[in-house]
Amino acid sequence: MNEQETIDGCLAGDPLSQRAMVEAYGDLVLSVALNVIGNRQDAEDVCQETFLQVFRRLARYDRARSFKTWLLTIAYRRSLDMLRKKRRFKAFSERARFEPAVAGRGGNPHPAAPEPLPSALLKKLSPRERAALTLWANEGLTAKDISAVLACSASTARVFLFNARRKIKALLENAHVLQNG
Amino acid sequence: MFCRTADLLHAALPLRPFRDWLIRSHMEGCPRCQARLLSREEARGLLVAPDRAGDARGLWPRIAAERERSGRVPETPRAAGAAWRAVAVSALALVIAVTGLWVLRETETPAAAAPDRFEISYVNVGGAPAQTFVYQPQGSDSVFVWAQKTP
Repeated sequence: MNEQETIDGCLAGDPLSQRAMVEAYGDLVLSVALNVIGNRQDAEDVCQETFLQVFRRLARYDRARSFKTWLLTIAYRRSLDMLRKKRRFKAFSERARFEPAVAGRGGNPHPAAPEPLPSALLKKLSPRERAALTLWANEGLTAKDISAVLACSASTARVFLFNARRKIKALLENAHVLQNG
Repeated sequence: MFCRTADLLHAALPLRPFRDWLIRSHMEGCPRCQARLLSREEARGLLVAPDRAGDARGLWPRIAAERERSGRVPETPRAAGAAWRAVAVSALALVIAVTGLWVLRETETPAAAAPDRFEISYVNVGGAPAQTFVYQPQGSDSVFVWAQKTP
C-alpha cells in the first residue's frame, strides 16, 4: 500500500489503512516527540494524540504539500502542547505545596520523576531548537522544510538550527576539555 | 567582519533580530564559524533516531481503542460561511442563556440555593484512577481540580 492509497483508506475510515499509517510513520513521530520532550511516556501519549488528530483532520490535508511535513507539524505542535501542560502543572503543584490543598484521592500523590532527555546536553536547547536539530539531523530536512514544521520563516529556522549546533558543539568541547584537563 | 568580533557581538547583544542578522551576514558563510558547529553525524549520535525510538507498532492497540471511543468519523472541511453560522448560533445561545439566568435569578428563593460544599468521589483518566489534586486558594470560593494519568 503506497502513501496515497493509505491516505485514501484513512479518509474512508478503513482501520487497516490507519494501522498501516501508524506502522509506517509511528517510529518517526515517536522519535521527534522523544527528542523534543525527552520523556518516553509523554512521547507515546503525543504519538497517540498525533495520529488521532491526523485521522480526524486528514480531509484538511493539502495533497500538494508533503504528507511527512504535515504529519511532523502536528507531532511538533502536540509536543509543544505537552511541554506547556507539564510546565503549567509544575507551577500549579509548586503553588499548591505552599498553600495547603484539600487531600487528593486516587493514584500516587508523588508523580514519578521525568526520565532524562536522550542526552543531557539537549536540555540546554529550547524545544524549537531541539525540533530543528532533530528534523535536520535525523530526517535531513532543509531549512525551508523545517520552517514549515515550526511555522516560522526559513531564515528563522536557519537561526534555530545554527544556535542549536553551535551550543551543543561548545558544550561538547567544554566537556572534552574538562575530561582531558 | 572577524570571527572573534562576530562572537563578541553575538554574546553581547542578546537581541534576536540582531543575532539573526549576524548569523546570516557572517557566520553562515564563514568556514571557520562553520567548523565550530555540530556536524550531522555528531547530532545523530546525541538524538534518538526513528529506528531506535522503540516499536511504535505497539501503539496501534492504544490508538485503535481511543479511536473507537472518540468515534470513527473523520472531520470534513467546513464549508465557506460555516464559521459565521457557528458564531451566530453561539451568540444566540449566549443571549438565551443570559436571559434564562436573569429570569431564574429573579424567581429564585433563598432556600433553593446550592449547599456550599464541593465533593468528588474519584477521577478516571483513560479508564484508570488518576492522580487527583483538589486545590482551594485560601480566602477564595474557587476550587480547582487537576487530574493526570497515574504513571
